[in-house]
Amino acid sequence: MGLARAMLQLLVGQALNGVIVGTLYGIIALGVTLTFGITGIVNFALGEFMMIGAYVTWYLFDIVGLPYPIAVLPAVAVAAGCGFAADQLLFRFTRNNLINGLLVSIGLISIVEATALLLWTTTPKDMGYVLSGAFRLGAVSVPKMKIVVFALLAAVMFLTYASLSRTWIGRAAYAFSQNPEAAMLMGVKTEILQSGVVVYSTALAGFGGALYASLYSLEPAMGGLYILKGVEAAILGGIGSLIGSLAGGIILGVTEAIGSIYLPSAFRDAYGLVFVVAILLYQPSGLFGTER
Amino acid sequence: MRQLIWLAILALIASPVAAQNVVKIGQIEAQTGANAIYGYMSSQGLALAVDQVNKAGGFKVGDKTYTIELIASDTRGDPKEASIQLKRLLETDGVKFVFGPFLSNVFVTIEPYAKQFNGKFLLMGGATRIHDFLGTPDHDFLLRTWNWDAGPKGFGNLMVDRLVKETGAKKIAMLFQNDQGGKVLVDIYTPLFKQKGIEAQLELFEPGTKDFSAVLAKLAAAHPDYLFPSYSDAHLYDIVRQATEGNYFRKFFLVRGSLGPGLKNKDEIDDYFVYVPKYFEQAEKTDPKVAKFVADYKAFYKRDFPYDQAPLCSSSCYDHLFMLIEAMKKAGSVDDVAKIRKELLSMTYEGLWKIRFDDRGEEIFNFDVVRMKRGGQIDVTGVDAQ
Repeated sequence: MGLARAMLQLLVGQALNGVIVGTLYGIIALGVTLTFGITGIVNFALGEFMMIGAYVTWYLFDIVGLPYPIAVLPAVAVAAGCGFAADQLLFRFTRNNLINGLLVSIGLISIVEATALLLWTTTPKDMGYVLSGAFRLGAVSVPKMKIVVFALLAAVMFLTYASLSRTWIGRAAYAFSQNPEAAMLMGVKTEILQSGVVVYSTALAGFGGALYASLYSLEPAMGGLYILKGVEAAILGGIGSLIGSLAGGIILGVTEAIGSIYLPSAFRDAYGLVFVVAILLYQPSGLFGTER
Repeated sequence: MRQLIWLAILALIASPVAAQNVVKIGQIEAQTGANAIYGYMSSQGLALAVDQVNKAGGFKVGDKTYTIELIASDTRGDPKEASIQLKRLLETDGVKFVFGPFLSNVFVTIEPYAKQFNGKFLLMGGATRIHDFLGTPDHDFLLRTWNWDAGPKGFGNLMVDRLVKETGAKKIAMLFQNDQGGKVLVDIYTPLFKQKGIEAQLELFEPGTKDFSAVLAKLAAAHPDYLFPSYSDAHLYDIVRQATEGNYFRKFFLVRGSLGPGLKNKDEIDDYFVYVPKYFEQAEKTDPKVAKFVADYKAFYKRDFPYDQAPLCSSSCYDHLFMLIEAMKKAGSVDDVAKIRKELLSMTYEGLWKIRFDDRGEEIFNFDVVRMKRGGQIDVTGVDAQ
């Protein structure tokens, strides 16, 4: 009985943890799905904008000494500014060209990562506790900061969803993703829309990075892992679906956490991938995706 | 005019002769990447030593004065990259002395290629897997520049012994990266714990993992006394933080990595039992050589001294260049690798560390064992391994 209870607590604790970690995957997935829907490219460099947001937050919080909420805002702005520069200098020449966009984003990863190495070296940066302590219920323990991160990420994702479904800009974006020519004829300023979506996606990634910095140590290569999870989550949830991005991220997070309890944790990343493959076999367009 | 032309021709002929008075030193270490903590300090310390030697006008062997050209490559911890760099160093640059690697996964990949050049160069690396090849046929080129863990005088053996005697630990949870570095620690420490009557449980994690909550919860469910985590600071910062925050573990035992993660979480830990090649914060106050090194580092790189990473300068780094130069002087040659190796094996060098090699070519140096208690209270025990 005691063992069963302990196991149940372990499961509940890790399911909660998986949900929280999954929202971090989800925010990147949201950026992936938005960028792909509007510009026709998969921006693999989104992980680097997450890294930028994380490092700027660390710098402003730990080195400059700004309060964390104030440090997050410029971090998101810097990530968005870098996103704008990348769009104007690079991505605007690769619109609707999947291969070129992919190559450019991979090149951008090298440049951003090398710059981060020059600026901050490879020494892991472990930001001080923003909010210490954990909520405990029996043996279930969830750090308070993880709860805050989850709440903020979920709020941003639902706000994004609401904006896209209830505002003129959102409807314009949907229209453009379905039929670009028709949207243009209806007065949608496509260049501004496409650049805006790229910048917003990088801002989302920067926001994810700023929250990530409050939980984990930073290193210049951190973006690589998260963009892979983000793409996985976007595919699992269905490319083009905003709710699917969140759901995909959470499913990945929970699968990895629960899988690590019953199976060797050395294959943690594989558990999520197996789930993706299994879902895609039955639902090729992803859980919430629609056939294109 | 004709004299001037002849002088110019002579100068042109003479210049390659001058260029020959250069000893090329290669280095293959991960200066960047997730496991760069091991190569970063080695590359920093070696570059500093090269600068000091060259600024002092070089060194004399016989009647010739030599300067050093350092060809330091960043492997990024990638074995393929390291293979290409080693090939370039040996076949294009004609390097006879290579420093590194510290990472075992890099070493096992370059080893089959490197042994084809046995007798033609020396490779001085800290990789744990080098131990397995020392003294075997076709591996005279190898020198291992770090203390060995196991065996009667092994530092790991001593650490486990102290753990048992000082804490009475009966059960330990090992959490390592699923790579060569992690597996070699499993191979070494599982029998060591068994010998001392400690029950060990093991979990491996994927490189790049950031959230360890699930695996920590799983390990903690068996109520071990200590957590023996990873080998790289890139993971240790996260593991120690998440282990204490989630109340999974508050006692840690480490034989790789730095004191940094423990210090960062000093108010949350109960015990942080760690092997540190040198506790620089203390040594700087008591040893003039260490104080000079710290000052020289700050002046050369114009940045703060990385106290947490500096202990890893114990491998293929600052001291080893000066040691190599001493060996060249004694051998009376800068390219007879057999003679130079022989001199290296027969000498004891007193630099930042007191260093000597055993007859197989494995280094033995003095080190520190640090125990940190809650609040950051530190107890340092120096060990003279000689």
